[in-house]
Amino acid sequence: MTVATRTATTSVVTRVRDRALATPGRVALREKAFGIWQEVGWAQYWEQVELVGHALLALGVEPGDRVAVHAENRREWLYSDLGIVAVRAVTVGLYPTNPAAEVSYLLVHSGAKILIAEDQEQVDKALAVLDECPELEHIVYIQPRGITSYHDHRLIFWRDFLELGRSHRDDHPGAVERRMAGSRPGDLMTLIYTSGTTGPPKGAMLTIANVEFAVTTLVGVAEPPPSPRDLVLSYLPLCHVAERAFTVWFNAAAGVQVNFAESIETVPANLREVQPTILFGVPRIWEKVLAGVNARLDSASPVKRLVLGFWLRVADRIGDTLTRTGGRHTTATRTAYAIGWLFCYRSLRERLGLRRVRYAASGAAPIAPAVLKFFMGIGVPMHEVYGMTENSAVATGNRPGRVRLGTVGEPHEGVELRLDEFTGEILTRHPGNFAGYWRDPRATAAVLDEDGWLHTGDVGVWVEDTHIKITDRMKDILITGGGKNVAPSELENALKASPYVKEAVVVGDRRPYLAALIGIELETVGEWARRRGLPYTTYRDLSGKAEVRELVQGVVDAVNTRFARAERIKRFAFLPKELGHEDGELTATQKVRRGAVAALFADLVEGLYR
Amino acid sequence: MTHTDRKVRIWGRPLLYTSYAQDMALFDTRAKKLWCGGLVLFALALSQVLVDHTLELLATALVAAIGAIGLNLVTGYAGQVSLGHAFFLAIGAYTAAALSGDPAGRTLGFGVTNLLIWLPAAGLVAALAGVLVAPLATRLRGLYLAIVTLGLVFLGEHVFKEWDDLTGGPGVGRPAAAPELFGWRLDRPGPLGSREQQLYLLVLVVLVVFAVGARNLARSRIGRGFAAIRDRDIAAEVMGVPLTRYKVLAFGVSSFYAGCAGALLYTVSGGYFEAGSFSLLLSVQYIAMVLIGGVATVSGSIAGALFITLLSPVTRELPALLPFISGDSTQTPNVFQVETVLYGLLIIVFLVFEPRGLFGLWLRVRTYWKSWPFSY
Repeated sequence: MTVATRTATTSVVTRVRDRALATPGRVALREKAFGIWQEVGWAQYWEQVELVGHALLALGVEPGDRVAVHAENRREWLYSDLGIVAVRAVTVGLYPTNPAAEVSYLLVHSGAKILIAEDQEQVDKALAVLDECPELEHIVYIQPRGITSYHDHRLIFWRDFLELGRSHRDDHPGAVERRMAGSRPGDLMTLIYTSGTTGPPKGAMLTIANVEFAVTTLVGVAEPPPSPRDLVLSYLPLCHVAERAFTVWFNAAAGVQVNFAESIETVPANLREVQPTILFGVPRIWEKVLAGVNARLDSASPVKRLVLGFWLRVADRIGDTLTRTGGRHTTATRTAYAIGWLFCYRSLRERLGLRRVRYAASGAAPIAPAVLKFFMGIGVPMHEVYGMTENSAVATGNRPGRVRLGTVGEPHEGVELRLDEFTGEILTRHPGNFAGYWRDPRATAAVLDEDGWLHTGDVGVWVEDTHIKITDRMKDILITGGGKNVAPSELENALKASPYVKEAVVVGDRRPYLAALIGIELETVGEWARRRGLPYTTYRDLSGKAEVRELVQGVVDAVNTRFARAERIKRFAFLPKELGHEDGELTATQKVRRGAVAALFADLVEGLYR
Repeated sequence: MTHTDRKVRIWGRPLLYTSYAQDMALFDTRAKKLWCGGLVLFALALSQVLVDHTLELLATALVAAIGAIGLNLVTGYAGQVSLGHAFFLAIGAYTAAALSGDPAGRTLGFGVTNLLIWLPAAGLVAALAGVLVAPLATRLRGLYLAIVTLGLVFLGEHVFKEWDDLTGGPGVGRPAAAPELFGWRLDRPGPLGSREQQLYLLVLVVLVVFAVGARNLARSRIGRGFAAIRDRDIAAEVMGVPLTRYKVLAFGVSSFYAGCAGALLYTVSGGYFEAGSFSLLLSVQYIAMVLIGGVATVSGSIAGALFITLLSPVTRELPALLPFISGDSTQTPNVFQVETVLYGLLIIVFLVFEPRGLFGLWLRVRTYWKSWPFSY
């Protein structure tokens, strides 16, 4: 390798390569296999990336070609992602939960040439829609179980794929490096398909420069900055920009050790094992942790319930103070916390897997301040952050010591942010603004104006001139029959802060009053019913009980007291089923598709206004 | 497969195992290492603190612990119920006594007083007996095996009562093995303190070695084989555990432990023993140690041995508190009867309420605090 062939453009790939040279033996990744966290050093990581790169070259991938990855979080995802970028191709991530129809849409729309699929499940989805994807040439599968009997000439087993790379490397040593040398900051690096709460997913194009800006900016959010001594747990879909940032980009830029959770179900257990120092979660995750604490508090033995209950009340008090001070302890809270640490908080955090967390962030969807306050109270430094795919996840964030609950924080360094004078829409401008939607100039023009401002579609207001508070999505604002503008997400999040409420959809556009469709949390309400000796069979049966209705009515009443008269929920109905991605009610990121839900349960909504 | 600098535990993350060696380590957490070290130091310190009479009692308990670990290996780990433990203890005791006995004495003796020779020899002879008995275990299971091993005790009792040359005859007995290490008699006051202090230290060291050995055996391939046989022998065989070989091994190792324990038992307590000691009651005592201490645990065996051995001096104090119990064995009720009844009662109570024994009680306490502040 000579200096001449080295690329001048810094990218995530060159960062990993440089780490492999500087600290070849340090741990880069950990993945649990056969009960043991298998460690991957930087040198090994880089070698795998290089092999993937060579293999892609051997398969004839040209700069700008799209390569799709359809897998759960695992080492091969990162090898593939960086290998693809190394040969100047474009990574397209698919959600593991995507049904075949969406897989087809994404493969066709992106025009992917190669698909790297995890297992039989994902391969089957691709094979089912193969005829619709003329551009797809090869499918690489990572797990062979069940696939060995398939006879399609396009299928390649991961190991053979790497073997192909190895022989290509023997024949053309340095070919990947030479290809990398040609990369420019403006090169397209990845297509991130937004979940699409309103229409079909749109592929946001992120360039190397976009990601570089995001990497350097986001690494500055934690104090002190992330280092190779930090551990993160990777468990949210890697095709989402937030998880990609916290896993791939943090890892490459700051050397943070990435630990892959076995699956989304095992996250609580994996958290306890890994005890990450930096943790990102979506509101749903944090709500679930809080609901779990409350459920286990109720079923604890009397002494433990007394002790934990007492210290949780103290934590609530500490949380109140921290909310006022922006996250800085006072002498009183510090003393209270120190005593509580001995009796409760240390072990509570250990059990939750949050013992070593020094920076926690919530983002990707709005969260109720009460949930954040709980975590601040038990000593987890929690920060709400804001960003979206279109600006490489870079916009605002609460800084350690300057937290304002209910806001998404201050604009990051180097970020221009203003509010539209008329609509209050948040506009951002910085080098992380995306290059446009893939094959969709009209949609691009709608969000990216000539001056380079990105129209986020979120309505916000300034709080104390420094922090931004998001009131709602532009499209979701309801105007009640009385002419009042209502932001449903505020109400919804207040409802979802209750451990018993999983989904809440507030309706009332051009209606005399507000009403809500509520989905109960089967686990906690089931536990609640069990303790009361209330027999039930299914979700539907449980939500039909008068007692459960009373329970949720209590939650709704409590929320209502905090809102103005016109913003109160007059009536509510239970969703007759749990919403799911398969049925099109939720996006891949578990966000409610309001349109779909409103249409599907139209008679239910009508019933609320009768 | 992986190429990282070294496999080290990541600080503050006791559940994050990056290799199987860490997962199966003897001391998988720092706390365990520290507590075990502390406990051994405490036991060493006791030799300087306690009076000789108590030390002798404790030393007896520690020797009993070695025997209990042995019984736990075959009964707890490998699931082969053995009531014949007294027989193997006897073989160890007589082998050691005969080897180290005075050649010119009343009873059989070869004059080999070196501890390093008679202790392993006692273990090996007992192990040989165990291996000879083991084929029975490959043919019989559960209750039948228990009854057959019970037969061993009666056979042994008869032989030892009749073989006066070796045992000195019933009611008379013979001196126990003389512990000599590098030409230095441990049963006479020496540089390490009084007789009791030296013997206590000796058995403490032996116990630590045997306990660590048993723990290591239990977490090895052989130990996993034992557990598989205990849980279901047919399934174990299907998985590739050679039943005959492993059962023979279990009896062999167990009897080795019993032999060593038997050899030391009377050296430590009194220095004299007679053939009637190796009765069914002794076997039951060891079974009680295992059941009360905790089946298939080494620390439980030690706890059980301490508990049972220290139970008799406590019951001996009973007449002072409860005047209707007599200290005289000719009257009823007397302390010896109470003691026997207590063994039985304790076994019943533990089996019904805490089948995991003292170790189970400890586990409960540990789980309570480990799950703090939740209940699960």
